[in-house]
Amino acid sequence: MARNRIKPAGGFELTAWYFMRISGLVLVFLAVGHLFIMHIANNVENINYAFVAGRWADPRTGWIWRLWDLCMIGLAMFHGFNGLRQILDEHVHGAKARVAMHTTIWTVMTALIVLGTYAIWMFQEDRAYVEQWKAMNAKAVALQPPGAIHPSGGSHAAIRGKLPNIAGD
Amino acid sequence: MSSTISEPKAYRAGKLAKLIDGLRYQGGIGQWSWLVHRVTGLGILLFLVIHVVDTFFVVFNPALYDHTVAIYGGVFGGTYYWPLRWAFRLAELGLIATVLFHAVNGVRVILFDFWNEGCKYQKESFRAVLLVFLALMIPAAIAVILPLATAPEHITQIPENVATARP
Ligand code: HEM
Repeated sequence: MARNRIKPAGGFELTAWYFMRISGLVLVFLAVGHLFIMHIANNVENINYAFVAGRWADPRTGWIWRLWDLCMIGLAMFHGFNGLRQILDEHVHGAKARVAMHTTIWTVMTALIVLGTYAIWMFQEDRAYVEQWKAMNAKAVALQPPGAIHPSGGSHAAIRGKLPNIAGD
Repeated sequence: MSSTISEPKAYRAGKLAKLIDGLRYQGGIGQWSWLVHRVTGLGILLFLVIHVVDTFFVVFNPALYDHTVAIYGGVFGGTYYWPLRWAFRLAELGLIATVLFHAVNGVRVILFDFWNEGCKYQKESFRAVLLVFLALMIPAAIAVILPLATAPEHITQIPENVATARP
């Protein structure tokens, strides 16, 4: 006989049990979607301040990305730290140690959620910085000699002419 | 497809034996998928803690943010180191694999929880998890590794921070 999986009888553990499953399903969309956008659809090497500003500070679609990221950080933090708590509950047995462990876990989790939420919520584009960044890169691109060989050599192809070179920076 | 499941093992005495018994479970695929699910969950959490902190830079110091994420592309202190770029690319691939496995196996765990008969197909369903995982991972690996064949697209100069001038 196959045995059914163990489900808590009630109380906090049952709530946590349901939460792990519901948040898991939502995170399939949020977290895997986030990875797809950042690592597959984009090249991570192109991600920088201007890229983030272009997402969060977009007047039309910015709120969608901010909402996405706010939901993601809340769910992933609760899911991840509750998972950590479940693991440590199996290994930490002393009453005092358990209180200390739980207090630490929930404190660190709260601090990280506050930090991340603050960044997503309060972000304001620093226009001056982005303009300066664009100007510097345009200059670097113009300075790039045609057919320059990249210092990495080996399997790396010659650096493309349009690209800036940071050697000597 | 039913299999006999033994009683959970009692912990043996001794710290090391206890740790080993704690890491192991009842043997077989169930034990290994469970252990990998646990390790991947912890791995993602560790990454996430770092990721929340580095993303926080974006709100108070754009230049610090740009310097930090430039490291992911192999640029440290204004100099490009290709092995650094390769190391981060491989780590990126590892992160994608970790999340994909945890996600696909997590869906399997959830299916078992809401569909009692599911447990009978533990072995078959784990093979399905591996197949789905590979089907997603192979194209992802190609997309992530291919850019290494060419020089970095954007080795950009990072301006001095001007954020402090903001009111
Ligand atoms: C991508 C979608 C995800 C799905 C479908 C998913 C699903 C699950 C499920 C079903 C469990 C088992 C819960 C239980 O036994 O009560 C679990 C555990 C766990 N998850 Fe996730 N999860 C996902 C994302 C994440 C993320 C982003 C993190 C990290 C922040 C994470 C960290 C953990 C940890 C640490 C555990 C505990 C492992 C254990 O108890 O052995 N998961 N996940």
